Amino acid sequence: MTAAPLVVEERVATAARERLGSAVEEVKVEHRGRISITARKETARDVATCLHEMGFDHTIAVAGVDYPVEKRIEVIYFVSSFSSGDLKHVVVSLRINLDRDKPSMQTLTPIWESASFFEREAYEMFGVDFEGHPNLQKLLLQDNWDGPPPLRKDLRIPEMA
Amino acid sequence: MMCPRYDPERFGMQAAAGAMRQSDLLIIEGTITKKMLKRVKVIWEQMPNPKYAIAMGDCACSGGLFHDSYSIVNEVQKAIPIDIYVPGCPPRPEALLNAIIKLREKIRKEEVYQR
Amino acid sequence: MSILDLNVGPQHPGSGHMRIMVKTDGDFIVEATPDIGYVHRGVEKIAESRNIIKNIPMICRPNIADDSHLNWSYIAPIETLQGVEVPERALYIRTILCEMNRIASHLYGMAIMGGVFSGHTTMYMFGFGDRELLLDLNEMLTGARMTFSFSVPGGVRRDLPGGFREKLLDTLDYLELHLPAIDRIFLSNPIFVERAKNVGVLRKADAVRLGVVGPVLRGSGVRCDIRKDAPYGVYDRLDFEIPTSKEGDSLSRWRVRFEEIRQSIVILRQAIRDIPKGPIAKKSPIMIPKGEAISRIESARGEINHYIIGDGSDKPYRVKMNTGSFKNLLALPFLLKGVHIGDLPIIYGSLDYWPIEADR
Repeated sequence: MTAAPLVVEERVATAARERLGSAVEEVKVEHRGRISITARKETARDVATCLHEMGFDHTIAVAGVDYPVEKRIEVIYFVSSFSSGDLKHVVVSLRINLDRDKPSMQTLTPIWESASFFEREAYEMFGVDFEGHPNLQKLLLQDNWDGPPPLRKDLRIPEMA
Repeated sequence: MMCPRYDPERFGMQAAAGAMRQSDLLIIEGTITKKMLKRVKVIWEQMPNPKYAIAMGDCACSGGLFHDSYSIVNEVQKAIPIDIYVPGCPPRPEALLNAIIKLREKIRKEEVYQR
Repeated sequence: MSILDLNVGPQHPGSGHMRIMVKTDGDFIVEATPDIGYVHRGVEKIAESRNIIKNIPMICRPNIADDSHLNWSYIAPIETLQGVEVPERALYIRTILCEMNRIASHLYGMAIMGGVFSGHTTMYMFGFGDRELLLDLNEMLTGARMTFSFSVPGGVRRDLPGGFREKLLDTLDYLELHLPAIDRIFLSNPIFVERAKNVGVLRKADAVRLGVVGPVLRGSGVRCDIRKDAPYGVYDRLDFEIPTSKEGDSLSRWRVRFEEIRQSIVILRQAIRDIPKGPIAKKSPIMIPKGEAISRIESARGEINHYIIGDGSDKPYRVKMNTGSFKNLLALPFLLKGVHIGDLPIIYGSLDYWPIEADR
C-alpha cells in the first residue's frame, strides 16, 4: 500500500500548533488518522475546547496508564468527529501527565459529555480525581472494594506460568 | 439452548422469566463476580424447596479463564450447593441437555425429605 | 408527589446482569440510574500478565456472540506495531466471519432484546432458529459455534473448508427468503409498532453529544460507520450501504439493524465471490515492539477500540478496551427520563446493550 500524503492530518496538526502555542507540549502526526497532542493538566480544558471547536465532538475512549518508575499516571482522551466529514477517520489522543501520588485534573465533561462514564472508570481504576465531575463514584468494582486502584501496577494478580 | 433446534421443553423444562419464587432449577451461567454473589445468594434463598442448581461453564465451575482476576469468585459452590457441573467454554447445548437428563435421574433416586 | 424506588435487575430475562435503579412517580419514571459492574472480570488487568497469544481467547469472551470483531480489534494494533502485512485471503476470511457474526448478533438482538423484552415469543423462536444456521457455518469454518479465537497476528488459523462456499450461499438464500417474514411478524407488527414508535426518541444533536455509536447512532440520522469512514481490511473494496433512519425512536433502531442484516448478506456474497487465492497467514513474532496503537472496528453494537502499549516483551504493558455497549450506556438515563414505566424494556432493548461487553 503506497503511503498517500497525510493532508488532513497535517492540516489539523498545524492548526492545533498555531492556536494552542505554548498550551501544549507536543503535537505529532503519528500515522494515517492518528494525531497525538500532549498538554498539561492546567491547560487541558483550553486544549479540549479548541479541539471541540475544530470539530472533534465526542470521545471514543479515555485510558489511564500507570508508569510507576517515572512516577506518573498518563490520562489519554481519544477524540474523534461525527459531524465533520473529513475528520471522521482521525483520532486525536490528548495526553495529560499527572503526578502519581496525587493524580487530579479538571473534568472535561463540560466539553465532551460522552467522557462522563469513561472518567468514572479511570477514577476507580487509577485513583484519578476529576475535579468537578457531576457523579464521581465507583462504576464497575464491587461495593466493598478496599484494595488499591486495580489497574495500577501495585496490584499484583497471580501470574500465569 | 432454549431455541427450536434443541428444545428443552420436551424434557419438561421451561424458562421462568423473572419468576424466581416459582422456579425449581437455577442455572448459573458464566462467571460470578464478587458484586453479583450477594444477589445470587438472595435469588437462591427466594426459591422454594425442593430446588436444584447447575453450574454451567468453566467459569461457574472453577473460575475458568478468569481464575486470577481480582473481582471474581472461583468457588461458587461454597455459597450455593451445586448438583451438576457442566464444563466447557462455552458448553455445547447438547452438554446442557445432558446435564438436565442427569439431574432428572438424580432427582428420581432421592427422597423429598433429603432436600 | 411520592417517589417509589424500584430495582430493575440485576437478574432479569434476556441480556446479562445489569441493574437500573428507577425512581417513579406513579407510572412515570423520574430518574433512572444504571448500576453496572456485575460481570466485571478485570480483562484489562489480566491481559497484562499473559502473552499476546494467550490473551486472545480471554479478550474475546466479553462478547461471545460477536467474537470475531473483538478478536480483530485486539489483533489490529499488534499488527500495526509489528508492521506485519496480513495476506489478502486472510482479510477476506476475517471479513466473511465478521459479517456472519454481525447477522447472528442482530438476530440474537432482535430475538432477545426485541422479542423477549416486549413479550414477543415468536420473534424469539424465529431469531434463534435462524441464528442456528449461522452457528453451523461458524462451526464448519472455525470448529466452534460461538467463541472462535480465529484471528491471530498475521492472519487466520484455518482456511475455508471444502463445501463452505456452497453452504454459505444456501444459507444466505434462505435468510433472504425468511427476512420478509421476520419483518412482518416483528417490525411491521401493529402491536410492536404501537409499543416502539416514537418511544425513546434520540435526536441527532443528542446522539452526537452523548457519543453513542453503532445502530443507535445511525438510527438517529448520523451516517457514521467505521467500515466506510476509516475502512479496515477489505471494506474499501466492497460495495454496500449504511442504513440510517431519521426518526431516532426505538422502532427505527431495530429497522436499522434489520437493514444491516440485508447489507451484510450483500457483503458476504461479494466477499465469497472475490476472495483471492493465497496464503492465510504470515509469520509474526510473539512480541510487541515498543510503541502504542489504537484500533477502530465496527462491531454489531458499535465501534470498539483496543489501545495497546507494547514494551518489547511478549506481554502487553497496557490493554485498554472500549466497546459499543459501554459507549451507549450514557443514552440510557437520558432516554428513560419522564417515560412511562412500561416503555422501559422497549427503550432498554432498543439500545441492544450487552452488559458483559460493557463491563469487560
